[in-house]
Amino acid sequence: MTPKPPQGHFNVLYFATAGSYTSKNVEALPAPLPLKKLFSTLEERYEGIRASVLDHSLVTINLTYVDVDDAEEVVIQEGDEVAIIPPVSSG
Amino acid sequence: MVQREAIDADMTDKPFANGQATAATNLGADGGSRRLTDEEFERYSRQMIVPGMGKEGQLRLINSRVLIIGAGGLGCPAAQYIAGAGIGIIGIVDGDVVEASNLHRQVGHSTSRIGVKKVNSLITHLEDLNPLPTYVPYPFQLTPQNAADIISQYDLVMDCTDNPITRYLISDICVLLRKPLVSAAAVQKSGQLTVLNCPPTPQGRVDGKYAPCYRCCFRKPPPPSSMVSCGEAGIMGPVVGMMGVAQAGEAIKILASALHIPSPTTDSTPERNLQQPTLLIYTYDLDSAVGPYSFRALKMGGRKRNCFACGENSTLTLEGIKAGVPDYVQFCSVPTSKVDLPPEERITAAAYHTAKQSGELPEHILIDTREKEHFSFGSIEGAVNTPFSKLLMKAAAIKRDGSPASEILPADAKDSDAPIFVVCRTGLDSQETVEKLKELGLDNGGERRIVDIMGGMKAWKEEVDPTFPYI
Repeated sequence: MTPKPPQGHFNVLYFATAGSYTSKNVEALPAPLPLKKLFSTLEERYEGIRASVLDHSLVTINLTYVDVDDAEEVVIQEGDEVAIIPPVSSG
Repeated sequence: MVQREAIDADMTDKPFANGQATAATNLGADGGSRRLTDEEFERYSRQMIVPGMGKEGQLRLINSRVLIIGAGGLGCPAAQYIAGAGIGIIGIVDGDVVEASNLHRQVGHSTSRIGVKKVNSLITHLEDLNPLPTYVPYPFQLTPQNAADIISQYDLVMDCTDNPITRYLISDICVLLRKPLVSAAAVQKSGQLTVLNCPPTPQGRVDGKYAPCYRCCFRKPPPPSSMVSCGEAGIMGPVVGMMGVAQAGEAIKILASALHIPSPTTDSTPERNLQQPTLLIYTYDLDSAVGPYSFRALKMGGRKRNCFACGENSTLTLEGIKAGVPDYVQFCSVPTSKVDLPPEERITAAAYHTAKQSGELPEHILIDTREKEHFSFGSIEGAVNTPFSKLLMKAAAIKRDGSPASEILPADAKDSDAPIFVVCRTGLDSQETVEKLKELGLDNGGERRIVDIMGGMKAWKEEVDPTFPYI
């Protein structure tokens, strides 16, 4: 199981190329965080991740799809599980 | 074997009069009344007695036509269960031939069929498994020109392909021809599965909740530089196998319960049978805290109002696709930041080798940016492994907290001023690495040489050492 995020944090899960880019499967980031700031927060940590991974990925919060382009009001809360899901094409 | 005449064109667009179809109560198009042959009865007995399936469900499968696009890691396991379940007509599209490196996961092929067209190899296997279905081989690639003609012959499509260009093409054609699409993908240690366009709804309808298409989920493809194929990134057999099997499971469910029959344009209850669109993610970790494996079922949105393919005002047409609009190749090859190093910052693998042998090359640092698994099979003498992903991360950390740029160099080379040579797998990451190291100021304002070894270890194998264990 994914470890629970520490107090005041949320977990972000990195799937497929997001995992290769960050060399992580999961990490805890400080909460609350407005969804519209998620990508810039990650870009600060992993330079280039936005263009290579994030702009093409799906984002879910607590297993439900969220539209990052239309997210004025959404705020990621403490204890949430955010997932970055890039398209996978191989098979 | 090839009996396209046998395809029953009558089934394609027959709508249900009754809006609430279920496997138990509503027969698929035709055929609920026929008697099963003794052979069918015997062969399918164990699945027919499963609650919800019955003779009706089985007859729907027998009367169904499924197109499997891709006869690889997904297509092989998917096809085995599709054939085993008794789907009446099974088309398989693939232009490749069987290679030894396929066999750890592509379970429908065999060592004795290396070099044979995958489509023919897989059909050989399937005919032995179940001779009752009609198998239709398409031993070539799906293209914008042939896609609609092929897909129109089937009730349901399974996307078992390995590249984004074909994935977008298949989804677009399925929207226009109103075919449900069961789509899966897998690379390295993770897989994805989603049912799209089911039940099929006419293009442009957005006045309710409808199932999404591939573009509703993934609006644009990632840049080619970040695309990894199984050939490059690797794939665990059971991961892709699991996704292929799950794909067959979804397809059988849809066909047995007749969800694939398009809802008629005038249907007053268009949301009939719309299930929560779901993306299943399977993660299988060899070494992580996330655990031995995990499944996550993610709730997806429905059809997007502004979707390029299925949304309102979409201009996508079958004629357009055939004529080259949109241009799928172009769409999937969005230019990325192109590194353009001057010639003095590049050296061929052969020239590097010669210079090193003759002693002309001064003492230098050699960084190999391949992933550590690749590096573990062999490397150039003296090379230090810093995987590209780690290198980028370190570069970002250096910029963020202002630590010395030399932190990015191998531990015993931090204080050195020696020239730096960079090699990777195929010659792209090494160029970016050179660019990145210069950006961090490690070239000491141009005084220190930082050089890309052109073509990576692939070129090393070709130009210098043919026995090098390159993967």
